Amino acid sequence: MVRAVATCQTWVSLALLLVPLVACSPGENAVAKAVPGQKAFRYSLDSAPTSLDPVRASTLYANQIVVNLYDTLYAYKYLQRPYELKPLLAEAMPDISADGLVYTIRLKQGVHFIDDIAFPDGRGREVIADDFVYSLQRHFDPATRPGGTWLWQGRIEGLDDWKKTGSDYAQPVSGLRALDRYTVQIKLTKPYPQLVDTLAQGFSGIVPHEAVEHYGREFSVNPVGSGPFHLVSYDTTKAVLLPNPAFRQEPVDLVFEGYNSDTQGQYGIDIIEGRSPPFLDRLEIAFIKEGSARWSSFTKDNEIQYAGLPNEQVNRVLASTVPVILKPEYAERYHMRSALEAGFVFSAFNMDFPEFGYNENPVREQRNHALRCAIIKGFDWRSRNDSWYSNLGVIFPGVIPPAVPEYDTTLSAASVSYDPEGARTLLAANNWNAENLPVLVYGTTPGPTSRLFYEQFRAWMKRIGYPPENIQLKTYATFGDIAKAWRNSELPLISKGWGLDYPDAENTLQLFYGPNGSPGSNDGNYNNPEYDDMFRQASVMQPSPERTALYRHMNRLIINDCAAITGLSRRGIALWHKNVIALPDRNFVGGRFLKYVDIVQPES
Amino acid sequence: MSTMNTSAVSGIDGHGDSLWLKAARKFKRDRVGMWALFGVFIYAVIALGVVFGFWGGAWADVTGPKWAPVSAEYWFGTNIIGQDIFARALYSTRTAFEVGLLVAIGATALGAVFGAVAGFFSGTWIDEIIIWVMGVLDSVPFILLVAAIAYSLGGSPWAMHIAMIATFWIGTARLVRGEVIKLKTLEYVEAAHAIGLGKVKIIFRHILPNTFHILLVQATISFVAAIKSEVILSFLGLGVKDGMSWGLMISESTFEVLAGFFNNFIAASVLMFGLVMAFNMFSDALQDALDPRSVK
Repeated sequence: MVRAVATCQTWVSLALLLVPLVACSPGENAVAKAVPGQKAFRYSLDSAPTSLDPVRASTLYANQIVVNLYDTLYAYKYLQRPYELKPLLAEAMPDISADGLVYTIRLKQGVHFIDDIAFPDGRGREVIADDFVYSLQRHFDPATRPGGTWLWQGRIEGLDDWKKTGSDYAQPVSGLRALDRYTVQIKLTKPYPQLVDTLAQGFSGIVPHEAVEHYGREFSVNPVGSGPFHLVSYDTTKAVLLPNPAFRQEPVDLVFEGYNSDTQGQYGIDIIEGRSPPFLDRLEIAFIKEGSARWSSFTKDNEIQYAGLPNEQVNRVLASTVPVILKPEYAERYHMRSALEAGFVFSAFNMDFPEFGYNENPVREQRNHALRCAIIKGFDWRSRNDSWYSNLGVIFPGVIPPAVPEYDTTLSAASVSYDPEGARTLLAANNWNAENLPVLVYGTTPGPTSRLFYEQFRAWMKRIGYPPENIQLKTYATFGDIAKAWRNSELPLISKGWGLDYPDAENTLQLFYGPNGSPGSNDGNYNNPEYDDMFRQASVMQPSPERTALYRHMNRLIINDCAAITGLSRRGIALWHKNVIALPDRNFVGGRFLKYVDIVQPES
Repeated sequence: MSTMNTSAVSGIDGHGDSLWLKAARKFKRDRVGMWALFGVFIYAVIALGVVFGFWGGAWADVTGPKWAPVSAEYWFGTNIIGQDIFARALYSTRTAFEVGLLVAIGATALGAVFGAVAGFFSGTWIDEIIIWVMGVLDSVPFILLVAAIAYSLGGSPWAMHIAMIATFWIGTARLVRGEVIKLKTLEYVEAAHAIGLGKVKIIFRHILPNTFHILLVQATISFVAAIKSEVILSFLGLGVKDGMSWGLMISESTFEVLAGFFNNFIAASVLMFGLVMAFNMFSDALQDALDPRSVK
């Protein structure tokens, strides 16, 4: 009898084990493969994000996915250029007090988080103002290892003190409050014209505290948001997202989104007018690091449907680079969009190095200025553009790139003109010669491209009389290692790219603001009191001709001080299959365009 | 004693000439070997020419346009930043010889010493320790060992050389050990013991010289292996740090090939193939010539 009971229990246990397996099967299959007839879009990214928690959405890759899983209060309009903000979870643009210090924002009602076991009954609850407050506070909680604190540090009344006193969520923050269930109030310590821009970034994604508490550290791979998609699988090679079935119905108003039929009509976007996104049944995001592998997958036609054009394929794919035109065989198969990046590449001199930058000896400091200017004259931007960017990039003087409205088209191009003869003359006039030119350690990461960048730089310097043996290579194992060296002020020249966080030149000018010196974002430790005064003055000004004039003056100071070899904005060329209706944009719009993607001929 | 030991070995065939003379005669009769030696000689001349500054000095200069085709000015064309591929390929010959020679000498010397000591003291704890060390080093994958050494040396330009020497000596040591175990039982060694010579003197003055035929062949094998390894390691970013090598050229060519530009790849591959092939054939011929069983 005992034996019979035991056998029965065994069978029951086995049956119970099988029930969930059988129950899971259809879902698992749905995750594993797209169903014929589904509107599936297979997107690609150059790298996998390490976390999908909004507080750690520091990379472009994380940000692209996070904004599709979580709501933010604001976003950039899908098609409007120059970029323009719009309310997303907010009901409208904020009410701003006359002194620019108090922002009052109303949230949309009836928006719910996705269903998840983190909630008491498994059903996603409504998103309320407290969630926004909680989500922003998390950036000031060291336990979350946040990446976006700098956006609000010293800006919101009481928030920094809240962190200093232990980041206790039970304690209120005077400058960050929920006035009622749907109203948020933000009090600033000083005017912050870019505040609304910061509320459009993935960093400000709104999370429910229940999910953070339920998943703990695993929250980074178990996102629970109210965005247009929800995550069903995620590993180092691919993320699969399905549409949020409860996503609010908000029909697309193309005019409001900035649609321009003259420039955007060829993409067929007008078919989404009046329909509520998301339009996809399934969104797959493949993480493919190698450009050639990405390209190969893209051209197979049955794998990824979106890819950037690799540099090495430019001659094969383009009929012309200025203007950018596809060869007919590619134009037949793919949509194409070319756009300048919202950022630039540049090399800043580390002014803390007495050999190149500031020096106690005024005579030497003067000579250092000449040395920096000579190096700038010896830097051949046109060759760099030709070698590495297929002449698609835009070379510009200073640090205000063409992507922002404050870009100065009247600025002299002298600082980006290749002039080796002028460089040699300048060096000689300031008693620089092969015997006394200081050693310049050129830091880089491993890889043939990095090496060739170095060799190119060394060859240019040789032409101006710099001994090649004085341009020394130092290789760091990873990008993280070289970034650490920059932060620790270990290198005399910092060569990097900068992607803007918001379309405002303040975001690049802060790279040269004295108080932001190492380990801050001012890696070059540029420290000009006049510049710093103007930066402080402009930082509290709303966009205006006066502020633009200040920005441009600061830009000229950097050029005149020869503080950086700058700059070039790269042009990205994106291609996507003809059956995909979209206008991809990886700048400020980031991954938000994915919400609007439609497929006109689902796979059979 | 040295006369004695030479005759001891040359006594194998019962003729009056030494092993070396007979080997030289046999080698000269090997046409493939001679052609291979000539090939190696040409490469050596190229490498020396670079060392003395006759050619290849402009390998780092940016002199031409991006991806210039083969022309009278640029014999192998130019790379993506306009550097002369011919100059870079010539300079890389020097790098190959530099790495090959250093590693061959270092690994052979180390293998000779440890192999001789292990063989002489075979069956004792000294032998066991040396064999254990060889076994341990043999069990670590080569690339991982290089990466570990490179990391521990903080990116030193010598990391690659040290890693190669640290692994290549083992093969030589095993062969030398076996040869020494055989040699130490010969009469001339017993005679040396009998007249009271010290062990160190017996090993290094009287036994080791009789393994030179093995060392010479092993050195040529190490030379080739070092060149090939350097190319692989440089391709992976673990090799040459500041300079030029065929491995770096092939590494550069990875994105050029995708753009339909093959000059870097072909130049480095063909030159490397030529040297490795010549050295391999030279090594084979040398091995045949120095084989005591076949020397007549």
